[in-house]
Amino acid sequence: MIHWKTLAAAGALAFGLGQTAQSAQAATNIELYFPVPVQGKLANKMKSLMEAFNKAHPDIDATAVYTGSYDETNLKTRAAIRAGNPPAAVIMSANFILEYQINNEIQPLDPMIKADGMTDKSFMDQYWQALHGNAEFAGHVWAVPFQNSTPLLYLNVKAFKEAGLNPDNPPQTWAEWADAAKKLTKRDGNSVSQYGLMMPGNYDYLGWIVSALDMSNGGQYYNTDFGGEVYYDQPSMLGAVRFMHNLVFKDKVMPQGVTNAKDVSTSFFAGKAAMVVLSTGALSFVRDNMKDNFRVAFLPGHLRHAVAIGGASLMMPKGLSPAKQEAAWTLIKWLTSPKVAGEWSRFTGYFAPNKGAYDLPEMKDFMAQHPNAQVALKQLAYAHPWFATYNTVAVRKALEDQVQAVLSGNETPEKAVKAAQAKADQLMAPYVAQTALKLPD
Amino acid sequence: MKADPLQEGRYLAIALLGGVALVWSTPLLWMIIAAFRPDSGDALNMAALWPNFRPTLANFRDALQSADFARLYVNTVIVCGGILAVQLVTVTLAGFAFARLKFPGQGVLFYAFLLQLMIVPVVLIVPNLVTITHLGLYDTLPGVMAPYFASAFGTFLMRQCFRTIPRDFEEAALVEGASWGQVIWRVLIPLARPGMVAFAIVSVCAHWNEFLWPLMVISKPSHQTLTVGLASFTQGAEGGSQWGVIAAGTFLVAAPLMIAFALFQRQFVNSFLFSGVK
Repeated sequence: MIHWKTLAAAGALAFGLGQTAQSAQAATNIELYFPVPVQGKLANKMKSLMEAFNKAHPDIDATAVYTGSYDETNLKTRAAIRAGNPPAAVIMSANFILEYQINNEIQPLDPMIKADGMTDKSFMDQYWQALHGNAEFAGHVWAVPFQNSTPLLYLNVKAFKEAGLNPDNPPQTWAEWADAAKKLTKRDGNSVSQYGLMMPGNYDYLGWIVSALDMSNGGQYYNTDFGGEVYYDQPSMLGAVRFMHNLVFKDKVMPQGVTNAKDVSTSFFAGKAAMVVLSTGALSFVRDNMKDNFRVAFLPGHLRHAVAIGGASLMMPKGLSPAKQEAAWTLIKWLTSPKVAGEWSRFTGYFAPNKGAYDLPEMKDFMAQHPNAQVALKQLAYAHPWFATYNTVAVRKALEDQVQAVLSGNETPEKAVKAAQAKADQLMAPYVAQTALKLPD
Repeated sequence: MKADPLQEGRYLAIALLGGVALVWSTPLLWMIIAAFRPDSGDALNMAALWPNFRPTLANFRDALQSADFARLYVNTVIVCGGILAVQLVTVTLAGFAFARLKFPGQGVLFYAFLLQLMIVPVVLIVPNLVTITHLGLYDTLPGVMAPYFASAFGTFLMRQCFRTIPRDFEEAALVEGASWGQVIWRVLIPLARPGMVAFAIVSVCAHWNEFLWPLMVISKPSHQTLTVGLASFTQGAEGGSQWGVIAAGTFLVAAPLMIAFALFQRQFVNSFLFSGVK
């Protein structure tokens, strides 16, 4: 592992070389766009990180620019690029990166990696394998993972004991999962006082959870090598959606309709849901608010154990001056270095994408004190890349709309996956026509 | 004696109105109660409307520490004031032109103007941003204001307002030897004041609360407006949220408008009645 100071020095040197014509004294002003996807004083934390960076790099003046949610950050970045004012770096939802590559709006990072004396492989090897798919594709490295998560199963220890289940032996398979959910559901006549299981059904979260269930059922969800294909109308997806349908309507262990993430966490705190599926990014929040004992476990598998990665990566738009590019690269390397990535991880609850972070003593102490964070980290061995296609958000919503209809009892799983596939195919048709179906005359 | 049916209807109406008022004021009430409730780390009771009887200012302290509120207030006041000042000039003159002047294509032009109201602002973000950049206004407060200098709604409102004023006043002034400028300034504007006040309220409220466009134009933290500054420490997608701080921050953002409304309530209501805006 190269120490960040060495990297920074290399960056500063390269920056100095590219700066012959201009005065070498003036600091390069760069902007970093960052969204706020977790709770807390994250904006303030980012500000203090930037101050530390600027102090260590007198030749760079970096400003952290708050840019709203992941979707708003995407909108602002795209608008800024088209208006000719690209920011130097952006913390971008990892599955949006592909679209910037398709639109030719993003700077490949290979030249800078090479200038640092590394290969694409040795560079990406610093990060967990599961994160590679959303950062390195089409023959280049496009982004550097910054904050990442996977869906986890959270259990209420007291409810498990009351139902005669062993919280030390959480459900491993869908069969055990459904069985535990039945035992954990408490009914008073027709009303339910404690649901066995809840999972968020709001946009974005739902697509992520369905992709995890689909992957657990042996599915792939999308074509990792071509952004014009999704596998919605397939047995693996049908099985996953049927499983959710059964939990609601056959076993009646999950509430009917769309439950959003905040309701899911609140129900978990209130003892109204014995098991919930939430992001590893919610770990700090649950720890702070849960009064009963809780525990986390891998998401149960069916044909295999599998989840999809979530979170954000650092990317660099095209069209920056050489000086800004060098400064942005220095910033990106600093933010993703083991020390800073580890600090950010402990503060937010995300896991650190840089493996080196877990070799540092302060991180070892933290992991020893927080066994739940260890489970989140171990699940990474079963993690797959996050779905990314042409027009990602609309293609994702095509499925989410249909699954929401299933959860509300307005659609059968069979019709839902067919309708979702048809809508997604229609959305991706323009891209498919320009690529896979554009044949030599 | 028989109950007066009119009187009974009155009670029913008051009860109904009271119910509606309660529904509308609940979010506001919750905000105020939650802002003063001590943070017990208890996300469950966050929805309670029952106040805690040991009110605290800790949430406000946290909110004030999370953002530079003084600067946010100044920026927001500059943006709202600047937009309104220019708008009052443009909508009055345009409204006058559509109400009084005869020129070819007047009807078509007026409806083309009104069509602007149908355009969803989001589709204009990229074209507007490109224009702002060409004008050198990217990441500046005038850049936030510029797209709003002309207002279709305001022009429509002022046109309707001028049309209700009898022509006799203008003609009398013209006979006395006043120029068109003097007619507008001394006769029409004083008579159209209720309409202008109504428009001012709508305009200031809209731009005070606006989020997406300032977020797009502004990058430097020192140029942020209140809504963007508030969102920077209260938004959360993957986790839950600190409701007390959110409520306190929202209270700080909304307070100036609420206070202004409380102070000038009678004038506001009157101008809405006069201008026919609901």
